[in-house]
Amino acid sequence: MISQLPIINLVALLLMAIMVPFIKKISFRATLWLGGILLIGVLVSSVFIFIHVANVGDIIYHFGDYESFLGIEFKVDPFASLFTLFVGTLAFIIYVYSSGDKTEGIESPEFSRYYVLYFLMLFAMFGILYSNDLFNTYVFIEIISLTSCAIISIKRKKEPYPAAFRYVLLNEIGSLSFLFGIAMLYMISGHLNIDLLANTIQSGWTTLPINIIFAIVFMTVGLSLKAAIFPFHIWLPDAHASAPSTSSAILSAVVVKIYILVLIKLILKVFGVELFASLGMDTVLLIFGGAGMIMGSIFAMTQKDLKRMLGYSSVSQIGYIVVGLALMSDLGLRSAFFHIISHGLTKAALFLSVGIVIYLKKSRSVKGFEGLGFQIPIAMTVFGIAAFSMIGIPLTSGFIAKWNLGIAVESASQYIFLGVIVISSLLNAMYYLPILFAAFLKDNPEHQEKVSIEKIPAAMLLPIVVLGLSILLIGIYPNLLMQLIDLVIARL
Amino acid sequence: MTFTSPTSKPKQHLIITPSSARTTTLVFIALLFLLVFVGAVENWFGIIDKLNANTQLQASLWSFAHADVLLMIVLFLPVVGGFAQLAFGMRAVKWRDRMVMGATFINLALSLLIYPNAIDGGIHLEFPQALGLGLSFTLDMLGYTMVLITNIVWLFVMIFTHVYMGAEKRSTRFYFFMAITYTTVLGAVMAGDLFTMYLFFEIMTVASYLLVVHYQQEDSNRAATTYIFMGLVGGFLILIAMMLLYFEVGDLQFESALGALNQLGAVRYWIIGLLIFGFGVKAGMVPVHIWLPKAHPVAPTPASALLSGIIIKVGAYGILRVATSYYFPNSNIEPDAVWLTIENVGFLVIWAGIITMSVGVFMALQQSHIKRMLAYHSVSQMGYIITGVGIAMYLGDHGAVGYAGAVYHIVNHALFKSLLFLVAGVVYHHTHESDMYKLGGLWKKLPVTTFVALIAALGISGIPLFNGFISKSILHHGIVEAVHEGSWIFTLAEWIFIAVSAGTVASFIKLMYYVFFKKTTETYAQIGFEWDGMNAAMIALAGLIAVIGLAPNFIMNRFLLPQIRSMNFDPHFVEEVLSQLNYFQGSDLLTMLMVVALGTGIFLVGKKFNLFHLHLPRWLSVEYLIVFPWYMLMYRSCKLIDRKRHPLDPDTEKMISTDQSNPTGFLERFQITVNRFNDRYEKPFIQNDALIYVGLIVIILIFAIIRLI
Repeated sequence: MISQLPIINLVALLLMAIMVPFIKKISFRATLWLGGILLIGVLVSSVFIFIHVANVGDIIYHFGDYESFLGIEFKVDPFASLFTLFVGTLAFIIYVYSSGDKTEGIESPEFSRYYVLYFLMLFAMFGILYSNDLFNTYVFIEIISLTSCAIISIKRKKEPYPAAFRYVLLNEIGSLSFLFGIAMLYMISGHLNIDLLANTIQSGWTTLPINIIFAIVFMTVGLSLKAAIFPFHIWLPDAHASAPSTSSAILSAVVVKIYILVLIKLILKVFGVELFASLGMDTVLLIFGGAGMIMGSIFAMTQKDLKRMLGYSSVSQIGYIVVGLALMSDLGLRSAFFHIISHGLTKAALFLSVGIVIYLKKSRSVKGFEGLGFQIPIAMTVFGIAAFSMIGIPLTSGFIAKWNLGIAVESASQYIFLGVIVISSLLNAMYYLPILFAAFLKDNPEHQEKVSIEKIPAAMLLPIVVLGLSILLIGIYPNLLMQLIDLVIARL
Repeated sequence: MTFTSPTSKPKQHLIITPSSARTTTLVFIALLFLLVFVGAVENWFGIIDKLNANTQLQASLWSFAHADVLLMIVLFLPVVGGFAQLAFGMRAVKWRDRMVMGATFINLALSLLIYPNAIDGGIHLEFPQALGLGLSFTLDMLGYTMVLITNIVWLFVMIFTHVYMGAEKRSTRFYFFMAITYTTVLGAVMAGDLFTMYLFFEIMTVASYLLVVHYQQEDSNRAATTYIFMGLVGGFLILIAMMLLYFEVGDLQFESALGALNQLGAVRYWIIGLLIFGFGVKAGMVPVHIWLPKAHPVAPTPASALLSGIIIKVGAYGILRVATSYYFPNSNIEPDAVWLTIENVGFLVIWAGIITMSVGVFMALQQSHIKRMLAYHSVSQMGYIITGVGIAMYLGDHGAVGYAGAVYHIVNHALFKSLLFLVAGVVYHHTHESDMYKLGGLWKKLPVTTFVALIAALGISGIPLFNGFISKSILHHGIVEAVHEGSWIFTLAEWIFIAVSAGTVASFIKLMYYVFFKKTTETYAQIGFEWDGMNAAMIALAGLIAVIGLAPNFIMNRFLLPQIRSMNFDPHFVEEVLSQLNYFQGSDLLTMLMVVALGTGIFLVGKKFNLFHLHLPRWLSVEYLIVFPWYMLMYRSCKLIDRKRHPLDPDTEKMISTDQSNPTGFLERFQITVNRFNDRYEKPFIQNDALIYVGLIVIILIFAIIRLI
């Protein structure tokens, strides 16, 4: 039974996406409740899958009972099950938030459409993680591209359209590069299954090395484009700025990470670390990551629009993950995985608390924060915790992530990156702290006149409180998470 | 028949109000506790022997004083008190203040009780798993000395604050962050490993930011921003050093790591260098001291007193702690070669200290704002402490003199500098004037304040019979020792040391003269004499200054020597030189006489020729020299980039031009420049997308193929 759960998860998410328009006609509230219950169910089953996978062994599922080389194969190892758990948790938190935040630019007819897209996107993300087949992965990647593009431009305003257009343009280039790489690999091995491909890569390397070089370069660049790794980040800030805050949150906290996970899967499972490193690709990623860490922060510093700023901050944080990955060591991978989760929580907390500010003030300007700490104390406190996590103040998960990365960087003798980490942290402080200062230390003449604090729906407050607390929890007891990550790495 | 009730008489002006009577009593009880503590430690009247005779009582007392949990209570009581007053503060100011003072007072009493435990080998507590690496707390005599002086100063400053901040806005927030800072200071000095220390140190930076920024004016915001960013930079430097140390050594406990460190090449110098700079930012070491004179004048008086009295000491304590633990060998029988690393570093640290003290005192002589002058004196006095730390490193197993001098000066400076800031606060409280040239003649109106200011000034100038003299003469011995055992070049350091001491004397003659004794036409009619908690707190601090000056051996024998004996200093040296030190010998007193004469001379010459008003021209200031080339570069690059299609628009050009009068700040210019570059990279739609994609993919392909071949 438990080996069927991954498929049940997928089918449930897909069914929900299809059902939304029909149930909505009966009652929209019922749809929301149903979606929430379904997400809880998916989460619970993901937990069961993880426990099973960790204790018993990988779940391998063949569709239609075809052999691996013919049909599609799902392989649920600790890696896949941990990150589906991560995706599911964040998706649930953001879902709860979005059910409260009905205002921001999405009209009510679009609102149900939003959930169709949301569940489709979740379906595709789960699929990518479970799938053990490259072409299948490509299909899921395409689904994410299209749905997230629609989610960005869901507002009935002209403003997001150019951003969405650029997003879809660059993402298609990325997907096609990825597809091109798959074709190159298929040419030498005749397989699309990851395990089978990995077995034939070595023999292919002797016969047709140029194919593999092209495959590696195109797939890496394609995924970098989609993951907004530094020089390819150009689409990200605009896409974040104009999208509704829940979309930005899921995009920045989860979707972008999925592509990095695919890249990790490719490097570790298909090409192998030695081959990847012998082409100097680790150096390329290190340079991209290091440059991203600093340049992302510098660009963020100069932004007037808060959500663009957070977008650039994501670029810089993705740099941290990429550096961890590019070290090509267990310690580096550990730090990358930890940072993926830590940044997911932190960025979601930031975007959602900014969402509350937008809900309240209808403006995204960095200048509009004066005195907000007294109007929406809970939201601004969570924002503060998340900002401290970004800077890397101890007691938050961001500090542990930085610590891990620092240790990993040293073990690879890349001492220069210690300096990069510090400069990047300092730049982070330079744009997050002024916002906090303005929120808590500037008196706003407006709020003193206002007698009552405007009510924020509990459905919006609860998720960010959970996010803030989990940032602190992981910051104080990182070993909770570290044990899981160590398990994943041991079995990867 | 007429009946007059006593109440119907015209009410006399009460000199002592009930509230000030209460605070005075509290100060009195605290001093009494300290007296009992000293009595018990010194075994006056055989009090301890009598206790020991009663075995049952002795056993229960012993177990109570040796309970390790006391340490955690002392650590977290302030935070608990802080949250309690947060709950109360909205409703009743009276109860809030009582709660805060009560918590501090209990903390002092409890920390006195820990003494037997600390001297019997110390306390060690561990919390494994917390924050991944585990936290640990160790209390040896060095840590205990810091804890005690922190608690003493904090209590008196807290009592002062109760009166001083009573009527101000947002004082609840001030108390709350004061409580958090309190806990973090205690945590940093109790830490058993660098990681725990870093944790508390970093939170201390953030919490004390809110003390500095308290008034939320334009200037305090700016100064506090400098404060927090420099603090963060320092924290990050420590973080790098900590990562290196953790990776190379595998453990961050404060114990000798020389075995692993000596295997490394230059990295071991990097580690200690980063640590010294990181802690040095807080300690106000010279190239990184600039936050200190900015933050002090704008912070509320209690915050300045604590900042200068305690918080910057944590920086010096950090340097001392890491240097004497990681870089000291495990036992003193090892060959001299093991000391080499720390001796090399010590050489530089002594000079860093000498430069710090001379720059501090030179700048202090130029100031007119009382608090800014005191802040520069903090820099200068921290120079003394850093010199002591440097001597402790440089002389290796004979460094005990420097060690003792540094710790002793930390204690002394905590007392007199916090008192001086409180005096400045009282002066400002009554006159609303901080410029010392505009004051004068205050001794008639504020006799108590004048008296304590005089004692503090005598203390900081190092006049015999006051505490500064003791630690300064130990430090002087240390420098002489460095000349004997090390290099002759330290003779120069000795001269500078004497000159700086003379400068300090001159500076405080100036302060006392201009603020209290100068003849003035101002009558200050609004100031009436009133006895309040501020006076009591200040007198208590002044009393401690005088007592330490009169009986210097108590701290030496009961606090410093036990610590030094437990470390790896040469025992012969410690017993023969340090414990036999005579503070009041003729040569020291003569040197002091010379210093006072020189200082008076400097003051008279400076006053006569107006040398105290010298200021360097703008183009020579460091900030200008560093910043201007960048302005030029940014302006040029903004003009050059994409000149044909998108010329710089006139508004932006005006903002970024390099005119002398242009007020645009560095950060703003930087933002404009970056935005211009960024726009060039990101804005053009399809064209740039294609260019970036194709270009990068080609470059990476070529790179991969070249790597392959």
